[in-house]
Amino acid sequence: MPPVRSSFSVLVAVALLTAGARGEALKPYTGAGCAAMDPYFSDEVWAKVGALECVKCHKAGGDAEDSKFVLLDTSRSQGAARDEAMRQNWSAFTQMARLKEGGRSRLLLKATGEIKHGGKRVLLSDSAGYRILADFVRRVNVPPSAWRAREVAGDKNAPPFFDGIVMLDDRKLLRRVTLSLSGRLPTEAEFAAVKRDGLKALPTILDELMTEDAFYDRLREGFNDIFLTVGADGNADQTFLSYDHFPQRHWYQKFELSQIADERERKQASYRLAREYREALHGEPMKLIEYIVRNDRPFTEIVTADYIMVTPYTARGYGIFEEVKGKFKNLDNGFEYIPVRLHALKGRNRSQDQDSVTGFYPHAGLLSTFQYLCRYPTTDTNRNRQRARVYFLHFLGVDVLELAARVSDAAAVTAKYKVPTLEASECVVCHKTIDPVAGLFQDYWRFAGEGVYGRRKGGWFTDMFGPGFEGEDLPAGERWRALQWLGEHTAKDPRFAVAMVEHAYYILSGRKVLQPPKELDDPLYAEKRRAYQEQRKQTEAIAARFAQTGFNFKNVLKDWIVSDFYRADGLASAASNPARRAELDDIGVVRMLAPEQVERKVAAVFGERWGRLNDQMAMLYGGIDSKEVTERAPDPSGAMGAIQRILANDVACRQTALDFSRKPAERKLFPGIEPDVLPYSSPEADAKIRRAIVHLHERVLGRIDREGSPEVERTFKLFAGIVSNAVASKRSGAEEIYSCRQGLLAPIPDPNYTVRAWRAVVTYLLRQHEFLYE
Amino acid sequence: MNDARREFLKVCGLVGLGFACPGGLASLARAAVKEAPPYDGPFYIVFNASGGWDTTYLMDPKGIGGINRLYQEDDILTRGAHKFAPTAKHKTGGMSNEEFFAEFGGELLVVNGLDYSVNNHSPGARYMATGKLDSLAYPTFAALVAACKGPACPLSFLTFGNYSATGNIVAMARIPYLPSLKRIANADHIEGSERSPYHDDFALVRIEQALAGQRAARATQPLLPRLERAEGMLYAAQVNSKALQRVTPHIPASIPKERLAQQAEIALASFKAGVCVSANLSIGQFDSHANNDRDQMKLIPEFLEGIAYTIRRAEELKIREKLVVVVQSEMGRAPNYNGGNGKDHWSIGSVMFLGSRIRGNRVIGATDEKQFAVPLQPQTLACDRENGIRVRPEHVHEALRQFAGIADHPLSKKFPLGLADKDKLQGLWV
Repeated sequence: MPPVRSSFSVLVAVALLTAGARGEALKPYTGAGCAAMDPYFSDEVWAKVGALECVKCHKAGGDAEDSKFVLLDTSRSQGAARDEAMRQNWSAFTQMARLKEGGRSRLLLKATGEIKHGGKRVLLSDSAGYRILADFVRRVNVPPSAWRAREVAGDKNAPPFFDGIVMLDDRKLLRRVTLSLSGRLPTEAEFAAVKRDGLKALPTILDELMTEDAFYDRLREGFNDIFLTVGADGNADQTFLSYDHFPQRHWYQKFELSQIADERERKQASYRLAREYREALHGEPMKLIEYIVRNDRPFTEIVTADYIMVTPYTARGYGIFEEVKGKFKNLDNGFEYIPVRLHALKGRNRSQDQDSVTGFYPHAGLLSTFQYLCRYPTTDTNRNRQRARVYFLHFLGVDVLELAARVSDAAAVTAKYKVPTLEASECVVCHKTIDPVAGLFQDYWRFAGEGVYGRRKGGWFTDMFGPGFEGEDLPAGERWRALQWLGEHTAKDPRFAVAMVEHAYYILSGRKVLQPPKELDDPLYAEKRRAYQEQRKQTEAIAARFAQTGFNFKNVLKDWIVSDFYRADGLASAASNPARRAELDDIGVVRMLAPEQVERKVAAVFGERWGRLNDQMAMLYGGIDSKEVTERAPDPSGAMGAIQRILANDVACRQTALDFSRKPAERKLFPGIEPDVLPYSSPEADAKIRRAIVHLHERVLGRIDREGSPEVERTFKLFAGIVSNAVASKRSGAEEIYSCRQGLLAPIPDPNYTVRAWRAVVTYLLRQHEFLYE
Repeated sequence: MNDARREFLKVCGLVGLGFACPGGLASLARAAVKEAPPYDGPFYIVFNASGGWDTTYLMDPKGIGGINRLYQEDDILTRGAHKFAPTAKHKTGGMSNEEFFAEFGGELLVVNGLDYSVNNHSPGARYMATGKLDSLAYPTFAALVAACKGPACPLSFLTFGNYSATGNIVAMARIPYLPSLKRIANADHIEGSERSPYHDDFALVRIEQALAGQRAARATQPLLPRLERAEGMLYAAQVNSKALQRVTPHIPASIPKERLAQQAEIALASFKAGVCVSANLSIGQFDSHANNDRDQMKLIPEFLEGIAYTIRRAEELKIREKLVVVVQSEMGRAPNYNGGNGKDHWSIGSVMFLGSRIRGNRVIGATDEKQFAVPLQPQTLACDRENGIRVRPEHVHEALRQFAGIADHPLSKKFPLGLADKDKLQGLWV
């Protein structure tokens, strides 16, 4: 244990001196080692009680900030700073644990609400949390040697977390990465580099991959899964661009198309113009993310960028086309995005003009985009609290509604106070955090369908905590740029980097990072806690590097990809121990591909998309619409199982005979075999078939099998068995079925049923986990 | 349990769905191509009024203290044991309380004075759906009962909205459009046409056998728990999906226009086909902060009409006696109107039940004249201000688990509700 700093001892001494005034102090243990922090505190008291309950109020800016028991929120610091915060918290708890009142510890009396406590009863006396606190009270009054020897020995015996986990081999890892991030298979040069240099080759390969447009398509798609800005309601030109501030928003209605002689074509062109304009408006926030990442700009710009992305079409809507048109390469490209600063908004009357010291719109990355504000609108009663909630979730990784603790009678609390959110401690615990941020959005006080920018008549609400951030009030002079002020504070907050690393994990794995377990009575609590801690440690390590290297988001993806969490692939031996299984429960990417990813994978393997996982079919396959359905299905239902079967049948149908109709050198699936090679006709023929299967396994599944492997043998038997059945049932001699011989480059007869048997093989492979998951 | 189902469960067990299986490869291959028999009920439907309903305009009328502007205490109506607000004159469509209680009051069990405990949509919805406030990991009741009762059903747990977490114990199925079911029901036929199979029968059988063999081989290898689970669910989804063919005969020729009726048709067709155990049906916009009476008078009748439609259609399909209906919302509305004629959130409300083995014409629990919950004696279900308990979602969920016969199922035990025996509601259903 590190020695305690001298200032810390002073704190303890001061506390002891003051203790007598407030209650009867227990006689503290003062022998050797009293300055060392008990690990029981960090692992048990803090993890299971302090961080979950006490710190909600007992912190600077919290409802109990004026009490004598003020803690530090360890989630807001990292490394040495967090160690120091933990030590200070330990000190505060230790002091409280040593104080007695009526013969009982004040710490326990406060927690159970048996003496005056602003937070009332936090723990029941028969709860696991109470037992932990009670243990802690006992421990602070005995020599550390009583607990230290046993616990240190226990820690030493714990095997490394990834002990016995088999990592993905480098070749498969490369395939996973290129398919995941760029929707393509690795090139031969990339395979060669990985074969030569192993994992060390990956950063260079990834740097190159991250210049590809396909990577940015995936990046935008991934971040939209989080921010959902594509799902903002209504026609974009109507909802994002208000009637009051953007008189040119319907520019396309008068756009000159008279050069198109045919009236029908002209009408179609007009429709296309409007469609692309609206789509481009919807796309701006995610294009901002692309711009930041593509140009290696600090990712903090997602909350601080003093620009937005516009296209030739959207620039017209904003009324700045003439000003910026010289910066575009192609004025007819509705999707060429460039960064620009908007001027401060001018309304139809002066009261609608936007305050601005600089004369520009106070852009604050995504926060101030019309799309983000429209996607998360407010109402008269919501008062921007929904915006504050998503702000915390999106940019600091904090779900403020998770803070909402159950109270004994919420209705009574609501009725008792005139303004419960200001007065009732049960409400204040959340609202003291949410309401100040809600106030920062105060100048965007227009409701859905009525625009975005606008001040509230009569000023902002006074029955809410005033505008600010985590205990700091918004200076009056910053009001006009309140969201920029928020963005600047956000960028400096250690939680920002962690939240972005968590977003990267979500994009790569399709699921959120683990949350700390809360069921203290769960017999597997310790294992679940360890799983959480290990992942959290990795997340924070990546976040630290992210911050140290100028917030380059590419580094975050690269760090995750080479981490054990992304590469974990199997077990060296079966994990039958329930405790070990609990530790490993979430390990491994094992992600069912989303509809868009399935289409890209089909295109990568077969050369063209299936093309049917769109619209309703995509929704049925667990996709999202970014509006009502915002979370992708993690597991396949029977309906999705049916779609997988359709996909396997249909893609195999389209691609098998088609591939045979290509020249051998141009084939993707069957470069080394022809339909006239029959199973069991000769050893050479069988060997050829097995080699073809090895190629198919690698192409479709990414599996590298030996010709004599059981997997190849199973596929061989499938192929040979079908050919044999066909002969027996006299189905030989026929052609491929009509639907499966369309679009061939040359006729492919199938006298021996081999083309259809190969089609069955492809169907079989496409239904497998290794194709449908990553 | 018949042989096919038993063998199917064996396969699932080997591939990670959590069932014991001592079976061998040959039986796996056979089981893989067999279809599990239809699930025969009970069928669970959870109707959700998303946004927070005003219970004083439905099953817990007040008419005093300015709580309701559309009626007074004297206007409150009675039907059997039920008291309800008069809405026939105020509704703009849908079904009035008068009509609803006249038709279903005899079967209806109402629990008033339910303490949702929180005032926010998100935690409230989570709490009401799962019985657990402070965990994101718990499954909804609908998901839990589906996992316990019908793990082999292809659409075991259907959802059309509301909080729908599955706890990773069952796949969630979203079927937003009726016609889409038709499009996927015959997956091994081109464009779903029975006359145009992709593969000859012998080829298809061999594909299925190869997949079963592959799954069985994988199950003997040491796999990460997550991979083991995923491979099992994938295999089960594909095999089970064949049962979707049973749904199409029950899809009606015309699709209703009403929101709940559309959802109900999908759920009922799936129940009838034996491919579904439970369904979350939901309509939103109950969050009437701005104009409470107008909004609630539009939505409550729409909601009741949807429930009535579902029950009547279940009757037509001859599955009504197997239906278990839960009617809920994530919060109530405050006893006072705000400045905009709306009502803000309120943590006290109600829940209703109807269906097989539920004794109707009963009201359990109460709120007082100020719309506060009156504590309940869990053993007698009588109001008891002195010694009663506050009935919260976990009490309701514990009772639901008991009712469904899944309280002792290993999956339920994985998600304990933490109630002491003395606090469990006794005799709620009969």
